[in-house]
Amino acid sequence: MMREEHGNVAPALISKGEDVGEVRVDIPYQLITILETIYSWVPKGKIAVITRRCDEKALAELTKRNYIDEKRIVKIGLACSKEQIAKCRCSDPVPSMVDIGEPNEPAPKDDLSERLAKLSPEERLKFWVKQFRKCNKCFACTHNCPVCFCDDCVLEERTFVPEQSIPPGLSFHMIRSYHMIDKCIECGECERSCPAEIPLLTLRKMLAMDMKEVYGYVPGDPKAVSPLNTTLEGETLEDECDEC
Amino acid sequence: MSVKHVLTTCPYCGTGCNFFLQVADGRLVGVVPCKTDEISLGRLCIKGYNAHAFVQHPDRLKHPMIREGGQLKQVTWEQAMDRIVKEVTRIREKFGPDSIAVLASAKCTNEENYLIQKLARAALGTNNVDHCARLCHASTVSGLLYSFGSGAMTNTIPEFDNAECILITGSNTLEAHPMIGARMLRALDKGAKIIVVDPRETPLSRISHLSLHQRPGTDISWINGMIKIIIDEGLVNEEFVKQRTTAFDELKEVVKDYTAEKVEATTGIPREKLVEAARLYAKTEKAMIAYAMGITQHSNGTNLVKAMANLAMVTGHIGKESTGLNPLRGQCNVQGACDAGGLPNLFPGYQRVDDPESKAKFEKAWGVQLPGNPGLTLTCAMKEATAGKLKAMIIFGENVMISDPDLGHLEEAIEGLEFLVVADIFPSETVQKAHVVLPAGCYAEKDGTFTSTDRAIRLLRKAVDPPGEARADWVIACDLGKRLGSPGFDFSSPAEVMAEMASLTPQYAGIDFDRIDKQVLRWPCPTKEHQGTRILHTQKFTKGLGVFAPVQHAPPMEEPSEEYPFILTTGRNLFQYHTGTMTRRSPKLEREAPEPYVEINSSDAKRLGINDGERVAVSSKRGSITLKARVTDRIILGSIFIPFHYAEAAANRLTNAALDPIATIPELKVCAAKVAKA
Repeated sequence: MMREEHGNVAPALISKGEDVGEVRVDIPYQLITILETIYSWVPKGKIAVITRRCDEKALAELTKRNYIDEKRIVKIGLACSKEQIAKCRCSDPVPSMVDIGEPNEPAPKDDLSERLAKLSPEERLKFWVKQFRKCNKCFACTHNCPVCFCDDCVLEERTFVPEQSIPPGLSFHMIRSYHMIDKCIECGECERSCPAEIPLLTLRKMLAMDMKEVYGYVPGDPKAVSPLNTTLEGETLEDECDEC
Repeated sequence: MSVKHVLTTCPYCGTGCNFFLQVADGRLVGVVPCKTDEISLGRLCIKGYNAHAFVQHPDRLKHPMIREGGQLKQVTWEQAMDRIVKEVTRIREKFGPDSIAVLASAKCTNEENYLIQKLARAALGTNNVDHCARLCHASTVSGLLYSFGSGAMTNTIPEFDNAECILITGSNTLEAHPMIGARMLRALDKGAKIIVVDPRETPLSRISHLSLHQRPGTDISWINGMIKIIIDEGLVNEEFVKQRTTAFDELKEVVKDYTAEKVEATTGIPREKLVEAARLYAKTEKAMIAYAMGITQHSNGTNLVKAMANLAMVTGHIGKESTGLNPLRGQCNVQGACDAGGLPNLFPGYQRVDDPESKAKFEKAWGVQLPGNPGLTLTCAMKEATAGKLKAMIIFGENVMISDPDLGHLEEAIEGLEFLVVADIFPSETVQKAHVVLPAGCYAEKDGTFTSTDRAIRLLRKAVDPPGEARADWVIACDLGKRLGSPGFDFSSPAEVMAEMASLTPQYAGIDFDRIDKQVLRWPCPTKEHQGTRILHTQKFTKGLGVFAPVQHAPPMEEPSEEYPFILTTGRNLFQYHTGTMTRRSPKLEREAPEPYVEINSSDAKRLGINDGERVAVSSKRGSITLKARVTDRIILGSIFIPFHYAEAAANRLTNAALDPIATIPELKVCAAKVAKA
């Protein structure tokens, strides 16, 4: 959960019986990312998490890959405010169970996606190249992402991304985008945490459109198997790689 | 099971980003950005995200050690402290208190620096206390005290967002101050014009509006040239100059000789580009200047800073929102270490040690007689040590064996000391030379405050215990002060130390831990009700009228010669930090920049038959190092660049210890060098 601490809003994990303090639900901390770091340090018992719809979807991606045991998680559903939905350009804002807040309508559209979709491929590339030139390789987009959980990150392999180079080149962003294509639940944390304010959520949204169109697949459903984890005939791979 | 998220301040550059350290059962497991922090805005750079990685590294110093038979041997605190007291007392009695020097630390908190300078002044009886600001912004302190009366950023970090023009020189902002660089990107996205003047291409200059490349060591020439263009084109803010400043005529007289032709010949900057930059800066209402080591680390660094101040004053771009002259300070607490009096000529709050009134004030408060003569600067102390006059040093958290210029001579100086005490967190190159080693606590292991580059006083909150027997520097300083028989070292917490410091430091008078626990306060904050000061010099300068300094271009102390045809300049990269003691123990950072390199222009490389990635020997009059060549067009012809992070090819083996006469800052940014295939 999030609560008021030192005049700021802080993520917090408390034990049973501990004072919860002043809970804040207006600042969108990515609690699932935080949960992933501390999960192994909480060896037993249940963990309750304030979950927005995007968090719920992130959890689905994690539990179906066995990174987190679904039975140990208690979801406290948070319906985001209108303002937050607008800020996130969120198309799917209401969790399956609402415990906090009132359900609100999704944001109508992502203006930037629509504008970019109308451009020629050359102009679109020009737009993204200009954006990526601001990248300072902080790895915030991977660090804060709830569904970025490989043990060895492909972006840290020199075959794909040469070390030291800043900005890191188009491949950095393209590899990441395609790597996340069947997992990204469009929480927008990559964009919010990007110091250069590269519209990464828009990039994800545009790729998600392709995924939906080509494979009819949308990440975030606990039951749906990623087309990347199926045989060419569409059957689930037996020896599937948890990282894919 | 216990999991905590502890809000604290980043230990790297001076931006002062706050973040949460994730602690699970006493282990640091990660970093989470603080979304509501008004400085970082919930964003961090790669160093910030990895700021937990070195803290519990197995190499941490865990026990005090004493050198015996050439080897450092583990001892108890009692034994280590006894040895220090015995040796220091002996040396002081034999050679006098000024035969001892103390180095405070830009890595330590304000409270610790306050105690360390008090230790030197009150317990040892010497003003020989200094720290690495001598190597970075000593010339900012001396230059801006002269021009404005206050040696710090005039404006604040968030104001970069709304600047319409930003002139950046001698600062590779995106690499050295990434989150300030991010603010500049935001301004750029909003349409601001960015001008970068740098001998190298930097990640920011490549996307800037105007990128000017000067020859290293020619900065006063282009700055005076710009001022002349501004005067000639009638772009002077006459009203500001008339009402707020003095000595403009003297400046006019000096800059009249800096014609665009002459400036082009000296600096290599095409005249039309300089004219464009001058017009852009002068005509834009919200125009900010940011500068760093490229300006300060010269043998005429103080004059260079004064020249920058002239430029800001002539256009009146000072004292208002999103304007000003902004030295970007490069360590988490280098601003605070200066504020807290870690300087040989100044008490806390920039009160002069040779001013009888200030001296009387501190004597009364501390209950001791104090020396009235300014002490030795770090660089002068090293020279005195070489000459055999300085006998002992107590160094808190500085790795002089990598960070200081002309390491060959420095090594002799350090080895010539009768007694060297080093308190540090890792077995640094300097620790290897010590007679007594004290294991210290790092930023994550103590409470205290850092003052960031924009004068904001930010809290550190203890997240984990120091390893083994290590102790926070404030505990060490208090213990040492008491053992040396001085009154005034009875503190039970850093908050108590701040209370004393605030009572003696006018800029900090309104600061206490309770207040800054919840809000960002910037000095001057003279009372407990005061909300701090964002913008300096709004109605008048700290010293009254701003003073124009008529400064002339002077060539660097060492110019390229037939034998040493290149100009060597040094600096940082994004992934490493200073002498690498912390970043090189952080796997993700070390992975990105694991080995030393020299950047050389592709035409120069071709001429010398050097290929990218080949090993080369780079030499100056003072030494030689071997490292990889990085062949690039991102540095101008005739200049080479080496980051100073790497002990295995320490750039400072080559650099020149020529000093600015006022600030005694060394000329780390320019020396003559040669390159040959290894």
